[in-house]
Amino acid sequence: MAGATTNGHLVELESVTKRFGDNVVLDGVDLTIDRGQAVVVAGPSGSGKSTMLRCINGLETIDEGDVRFDGTSVASAGKGIYALRAEMGMVFQQFNLFPHKTVLQNITLGPMQVKGLSEEDAKARATKLLERVGIPEKAKSFPADLSGGQQQRVAIARALAMEPKLMLFDEPTSALDPEMIREVLDVMRDLAREGMTMIVVTHEMGFAREVCDRIVFIDDGKIVEDAPPNEFFTQTKSDRAKEFVDKIIHH
Amino acid sequence: MGEFWGVLERYFPEFVSGFFVTLRLVGISFAIAMSVGVVIAAFRVTPAKWVQRIGGTYVEIFRNIPLLVLLFILFYGLPSEVQFSRVTAGALGLGLYTAAYVGEAVRSGVFAVGQGQIDASLSLGFSYRDTLRRVVLPQAVRTVIPPLGSLFIAMTKNSAVIGGALQVQDLMMKARGISADTFQTNEAFFWAAVGYLLITVSLTFVVRNLETRLAIRR
Ligand SMILES: Nc1ncnc2c1ncn2[C@@H]1O[C@H](COP(=O)(O)OP(=O)(O)OP(=O)(O)O)[C@@H](O)[C@H]1O
Ligand SMILES: [Mg+2]
Repeated sequence: MAGATTNGHLVELESVTKRFGDNVVLDGVDLTIDRGQAVVVAGPSGSGKSTMLRCINGLETIDEGDVRFDGTSVASAGKGIYALRAEMGMVFQQFNLFPHKTVLQNITLGPMQVKGLSEEDAKARATKLLERVGIPEKAKSFPADLSGGQQQRVAIARALAMEPKLMLFDEPTSALDPEMIREVLDVMRDLAREGMTMIVVTHEMGFAREVCDRIVFIDDGKIVEDAPPNEFFTQTKSDRAKEFVDKIIHH
Repeated sequence: MGEFWGVLERYFPEFVSGFFVTLRLVGISFAIAMSVGVVIAAFRVTPAKWVQRIGGTYVEIFRNIPLLVLLFILFYGLPSEVQFSRVTAGALGLGLYTAAYVGEAVRSGVFAVGQGQIDASLSLGFSYRDTLRRVVLPQAVRTVIPPLGSLFIAMTKNSAVIGGALQVQDLMMKARGISADTFQTNEAFFWAAVGYLLITVSLTFVVRNLETRLAIRR
């Protein structure tokens, strides 16, 4: 029973190093995330935030260290990686909905093909999720007919349809018009309140302050700050994070 | 003008039978080209290098030998245990030959599908193979419908080589026969041209129709 670790850690990164050629993108990253925690990841552009998320669900391989999800090593999962990924939802900056499928089909595809749900059950699940993200009337639309905010909510529903243990968000609101950011953040806030474990790369510090348990600050492939929001904003230790906080506060 | 109708009237059954042989050649070649082509494209975009190489070798071979040579090999050149009928050998040759081009067209369509689509599919727990099958190829095929249409029109025209090469009584061979019988060369080949046009113009319509029906709205 690999999943039956006695500690509450759902995600563990142990001195993870990731290089692209000579470029060291993650430099000995240690990070543990407990079940039910919502963690915001912030940091300058190019610091390795996306790469860290992608190493957690194995979209990128790592060069050194280990990544464990629910007690199982992601790095050495081999073909088992597919089953692990099915337990981690991921939401992308560019939504990445399947343009040739309807909203409903986008959501039912994974549950039917990966988890073997019947079409009926998958549809029922998708319908519920669409209600939950507030757009039940869009089931039969194609992604291109939706606003950015609606597309991102569908993308969240698509990920949730797999009933994941962990949700990874990579700048989910960065590609959105300002008036649509709220509707997506609201869905994410509700998720966090319901106890979903989530890692959110975002610059939305209002969201971070209100919703998350910890803020992790990455600079140049290293975690330089890891603290609850209050502490992060008031007792910032590193210079880079200070700079970052100052910018946000005076924004 | 009277001569044209006269030839058509007298040889109508011949023309029709040639037309249907051509249609059969084109139909079988299409099925072969499409299925082999998609597999070749899949090979060429698989991460495994040696699988890529198989696909690449196929494309290089079949694009670089003349169709006529390929037809001769398939009919006259194979060991007697695998003797194909003339029509089968002809359709197989044309299909395998066209598959190389289909493979390249579909491959370019695959590359046109963004990495984000692949990431999204993998993140749902799909294997690389299922990602290709359920997410990438359906989109790739849609974007390559126009170039595929051109390929299959070219294939229809290329099918005219088969008759002469393998003594198959297709539209082209029938026209040759009629022209030899009557010395009315213009008339005979005029009606052959009409027959080919019938197929290629219908193909154009099918392509347009598919294009509008399957278009991905972005
Ligand atoms: N596939 C790749 N190949 C080569 N280099 C890459 C690749 N992906 C990312 N990198 C590099 O790794 C570094 C970190 O990239 P990453 O996308 O993780 O940063 P980020 O913190 O998410 O930045 P942003 O805020 O701009 O999204 C960058 O220098 C980037 O150029
Ligand atoms: Mg990023």
